[in-house]
Amino acid sequence: MDYIAGYIGKRATSTANHILNLFAFTHRIFVLLFQRHREGGALVRRVTLEQVYFTCVQALPIIIPISLLFGSMLIIQFAKVSGQYDLGKTMVMLIVRELGPVVTALLVILRSATAVAIEISYMNVFHEIDALEMAGIDPMRIVCLPRLIGITSAILCLFIVFDLVSIIGGYLIVWSFTDIPMGDFMVQIGKAITGTDIAVGIIKAIFFGIAIAATCLKHGFSVKRLITDIPVSTSKAAAECFFYCLVINVFISILFYM
Amino acid sequence: MYLINLVDYTIDSPERDRCLNKLNFGLSQGDAFAIIADSPDRAHIFLKALAMLVKPVSGEFYFKDKKVDFSDYRNLLPCKKKIGYIASDAAMISNITVMENLLYMRCYFENSLSLSLDEKADNLCKIFSIHDKLNVRPGKLRSVDLRIAIAIREFSKSPDLLLLERPEDFIGHTNFDLFTEVLRDMVLTKLPVVFISYDKDFIEEFSNKKIFLKDGTWAVG
Repeated sequence: MDYIAGYIGKRATSTANHILNLFAFTHRIFVLLFQRHREGGALVRRVTLEQVYFTCVQALPIIIPISLLFGSMLIIQFAKVSGQYDLGKTMVMLIVRELGPVVTALLVILRSATAVAIEISYMNVFHEIDALEMAGIDPMRIVCLPRLIGITSAILCLFIVFDLVSIIGGYLIVWSFTDIPMGDFMVQIGKAITGTDIAVGIIKAIFFGIAIAATCLKHGFSVKRLITDIPVSTSKAAAECFFYCLVINVFISILFYM
Repeated sequence: MYLINLVDYTIDSPERDRCLNKLNFGLSQGDAFAIIADSPDRAHIFLKALAMLVKPVSGEFYFKDKKVDFSDYRNLLPCKKKIGYIASDAAMISNITVMENLLYMRCYFENSLSLSLDEKADNLCKIFSIHDKLNVRPGKLRSVDLRIAIAIREFSKSPDLLLLERPEDFIGHTNFDLFTEVLRDMVLTKLPVVFISYDKDFIEEFSNKKIFLKDGTWAVG
């Protein structure tokens, strides 16, 4: 019994410690965001743009078909019961408020967050972070800050793309290929969507971006010497990112809609 | 004035070969130290200690007579910038080209992305014949060329101190003579050097002092 209690206590302490460390790490990157440095601005901007390109632009060929599939699938299912529910309102609730941010976050975790965790671990194991420090360059500024800004901006853009493509594209697909009656779908969407829905989507995307970037960077930096620690750390980072996104999603939904 | 002064400097490690115990060491302008150690690991850890890449458990580290505060890695960056580190664990950033690696430090501190190699780096690239390999990523280079590129990067940052680990192996036999020629010119300017080498001729030519490390203790000769 003592053994079990001890184990639970130890796990609880280590989890709390890990989460506090994550907050401290995020805080350190945020401090850099608001500091004005004379040096390195051009490099930071370039790395940020590269990160936006890798996470957002390169993800478009994946996110567009997925959002089309999601949009058309949901419209087909809910159009059948449109007598009972307002189709436009249902789509706004499902896509704009919940599925859009979560599916976007999931795609970014699968594509980019794991890549960032591996990249940083690799840089640590092969002494590339040391090489940066030996050049007098702060790795937090040149490695972490651009990735945090890049991933967060990318999620925000991808979330907007997901919402637009799944609603408009989904509607066009169902309208073109089926005879399912949808009424004046676009008018219903226009009436159903509110400023709060858009604001909540943006807030969720920003928090998801911060959580994903900080978690992956933290896990990347936790790998010190062994290359065999990289896959372990990456899978932990991916699972943790998704969990944090779901927690943030529920928390923000409760805050705005309950 | 010491460039680097270690006072009761202690590094602890579970591996006995990687410990340093209450080491006192002073390095001035013009000093060229050869490290003679009972184990390669200990010699390597001493070199890393001088590069501030390991954190001591106790003791003091003075750089240009200023005490270095190891509590925050950012305090070390201005000092590290002044140290050329050519060792087995020196690396290049793998996701940019060799040219970008050579320019990275200048791009950062001069806050510009449109820079070209300065005269010194350009000359070194010519001497070591790696001009045609500058536009590839480090991973695509042969290890010998990669190490030469690392040496060029460290030489061209005009360091106040040069740390070398077995240059005869690091650079490779083909380019070792070229390397010693470049190093000779730098040492003539009274640049302090600390190195590990198993090449007796190299030790003979480049060292004017020796530090002996045994069981974590030390002696200067």
